[in-house]
Amino acid sequence: MNEEIVISLKGVRKTFRDFWLRPTVNAVDGLDLSVRRGEVFGLLGPNGSGKSTTIKMILGLLDPTAGEVLMFGRSPRSLSARARLGYLPELSYMHPFLTARETLMYYAGLCGLSRNEGAKRTAELLAMVKLEDVANRAVGGFSKGMARRVALASALVGRPELLVLDEPTSGLDPVSTKEVKMLVKALAANGMTILMTSHLLADAEDVCDRVMILNHGKAVAEGRVAELGGSLEDFFLAKVGSADEFVLADFLS
Amino acid sequence: MNSFWRIFSLELTAAVRSKSLLLLLIASVAWMVAAPFLFVGDGTVEGSRALAVHYSLGGVAALLAVSLLASATGSIAGERSAKRLQLTLVRPVHYIVVALAKMAALVSLGALVLAAATAVEACRSDLSRPCRHVLSPILPTPREEAVMAYEAFMSNPDTPAAAKRAKKQVVLRLLAQRALDRYETIGTNSVAKWNFKVEEASAQADGLAVRLRFTNAYDIRQDVRGELLLRIGGSLWSGSVSNITQAVVEVPLVRIREGTVCCGTAELTFRNIGGSAVMLRPRRDVNLLSPADGFGWNLIRAYVELVAMLSILVAFGVFLGAGLGRPVALFTAIVALIVSEMSPSVIEQYPDELETDRLDAIGLYITRAAAEATHPISSLVPLEKLSEDACIERREVLRTATANMVFAPLILALLAALAMPRKVEV
Ligand SMILES: Nc1ncnc2c1ncn2[C@@H]1O[C@H](COP(=O)(O)OP(=O)(O)OP(=O)(O)O)[C@@H](O)[C@H]1O
Ligand SMILES: [Mg+2]
Repeated sequence: MNEEIVISLKGVRKTFRDFWLRPTVNAVDGLDLSVRRGEVFGLLGPNGSGKSTTIKMILGLLDPTAGEVLMFGRSPRSLSARARLGYLPELSYMHPFLTARETLMYYAGLCGLSRNEGAKRTAELLAMVKLEDVANRAVGGFSKGMARRVALASALVGRPELLVLDEPTSGLDPVSTKEVKMLVKALAANGMTILMTSHLLADAEDVCDRVMILNHGKAVAEGRVAELGGSLEDFFLAKVGSADEFVLADFLS
Repeated sequence: MNSFWRIFSLELTAAVRSKSLLLLLIASVAWMVAAPFLFVGDGTVEGSRALAVHYSLGGVAALLAVSLLASATGSIAGERSAKRLQLTLVRPVHYIVVALAKMAALVSLGALVLAAATAVEACRSDLSRPCRHVLSPILPTPREEAVMAYEAFMSNPDTPAAAKRAKKQVVLRLLAQRALDRYETIGTNSVAKWNFKVEEASAQADGLAVRLRFTNAYDIRQDVRGELLLRIGGSLWSGSVSNITQAVVEVPLVRIREGTVCCGTAELTFRNIGGSAVMLRPRRDVNLLSPADGFGWNLIRAYVELVAMLSILVAFGVFLGAGLGRPVALFTAIVALIVSEMSPSVIEQYPDELETDRLDAIGLYITRAAAEATHPISSLVPLEKLSEDACIERREVLRTATANMVFAPLILALLAALAMPRKVEV
C-alpha cells in the first residue's frame, strides 16, 4: 500500500434506511477520494450534502453500504489506524462533569500516554488553545467557543498524523476563527495531514491545499485551490448552482 | 490496560459527581436500618431475625439490581445518544476494553453500596453465631432418575402404545419433576437409608443433627416415632425421633461409638417404630446438618454471591446498550428481569399436561427457554440460606463467582464489542 495516500475512498456509497430497511436517503453516492500525506484537504458542500457522513465512514464510525474505505492503507477500525488519528466532531460533545484538564487527561490516557506524559501534553495543549485560566472548571459550564477549543485540543492530544476536522470553526468568534486557521496552517507546516469540512469558503480558501465539493452525496468538483483561478466562492456557486446559505454564512462571519 | 483504568475511573467520577452514588448509599443504609422495624416476624427471635436479614439485604439487592441495570443499559447507549461514544471509538482502544471497563465500574459501584449495607448487617449481628452445612442425600439427579424411569416405562409391555408415542422430551421433563417430589414410604419396622457426603472436619466436631419432615398418605396429623443411626467410617451416632407428620423436626445426634472417621461418606438409617407407615421426599425432606463457621463468614459469602448476581445484570445491560438504543435496551432489560423472576412460577403452575392447546404450548416453550436462560440470575439470591443460618458453601460461591463475574461478562463484552461500532448515532 502506498504510504503517501493517507485516506482513500473508492466507490463509496452510504444509504440510510428506516426501521423497515427501506432506503431513505443516499447520503453519499459513489465517492472516490484520496488524501495524500501532508495535505490539507477541504470537503465542501451545502447542508446535507454528505460531508459528515463521509467523515464518519473514514473514521470507521459508519459502515459504507458499498465501496472501500482505507485509512493509512488499513481498515479505519484497526487499532494502528486509530492510533494515528485525531478527530474533532461537528459539535463539541463533552463529559459535562469533567474539567478541561481532566478531559484532556482522559483522552491522553485513551491514546496510551502515561500519566506524566499526559499531564505534560495537557499543559501544552491548554496553553495552545488559551484555556489555562479555566482549566479546572467543569466543561459542562463552558461556552460554545470554549468547548470547541477543548474538543480541538483533545483531538490533538495523541499527536496524530491525520487530523479530521468537521466544521472546526463553527461557534467561534472571528478572532478565534483566525487563531484556529493559523493553528491548522502551523500543524500542516509541521507535516500533519488534515481533512476538514467547512461552510465558510473563505476559510477553506485560506487553509486548504485541495478541495472537493460535494452535492447530494456526489463529488461535483475537485481541485487545487491555487489552480482555481477565480475565488473559491464563484467556483463553488458555479458547481453547486445556488447561493443557498453560503453567501449568508460568509456574510455573517 | 491504561485505557481500561481511564474509562473505569471516568465512570466512577461520573457516579460520584452526579451524586448518584451518594443517593444510592443513603437509600441503602437507610433501608438497612429501617427494614427490621418494618418487618415483624412470627414473634420468635429467630423468625424476626431471619425476616430482617432477608428483607433488609434483599431490598438493597433489588434496589441495586434495578438501578445498576438502568445505568448499565445507559452506559454505552447513553453515551451514544449524547454523541460522546464516537470520541472514544476513534481512539486506539479495543472495543471490548470499553465494554469491560464500563461493566467493571458499575459492578464496583454496586459492590461498594452493597458493602455498606452488609456492614450495617454485620454491626447488628452476632458474627460468631454458628451456621450449619445443610446436606442432602446423595441421589441421582432428577434428570438421571427420569431417564431410568423412562427406560423402564418404555420397556414395560403393559405400557399402552399410545403412551409410548408421547414426546420423549415432554415425558422426561414430567418424570424429572416427579423425581424431585418423589415420596419414599417407610412401613412400620422397616428401615430407610440415605447416604451423604461429609467433610471430615465437620464430622469430627460435635453438633451433628438431622432435619426431617414426614407426611402420610392421608394428609392428617399422625405421630411419628423412629430411631436414627448415623455411621461415618467406624464412628456411630444415634438419635430418636418423636414428632408428628407435616412438622419439621431437628433431631440432635449423640455419638455412641468413637472410631475412625474416614471415607467422607455418611450413612444415615431411619427405623420406623411407630404404629403406621410414614412418607417423605428424600430430595426435600431429609437433611444432615453439620456445624460450619460463623454468621460473619456466611455474610461475606452471601455478599460475594450478591455481587456476582449484580455483575451478570450489569454485563447484560451493557451488552444490550451496545446494540440497542437506550429506551429499547432498558425496556428489554426490565422485561428480562421480570421474566426471570416470574417464569419459574409460571412453569410450575402450568405443567405439561396443559400443553394440548397449541398456543399454550408455544407460550410455555418460550417461558421455559427464558427461565433456562435467566436461571443464573433468578437462582442466585443467597438470602434464603443466609437468613436460615445455612452455610453458603464455598465451592458454590466460587462457581457462581467465576461464571457470573468472569465468563459471562467476558462473553457479553465480546458481543458488545462486535455491536458497538456498528451502531453509532450520527
Ligand atoms: N443517521 C442518519 N440517518 C438518516 N439519515 C441521515 C443520517 N445522518 C445523515 N443523514 C442524512 O444524510 C444526508 C447527509 O448528511 P450529512 O450530515 O452528511 O450532511 P453534511 O454535509 O454534513 O451537512 P451539514 O453541512 O449540515 O453538516 C442528509 O440528507 C441527512 O439527512
Ligand atoms: Mg455536517
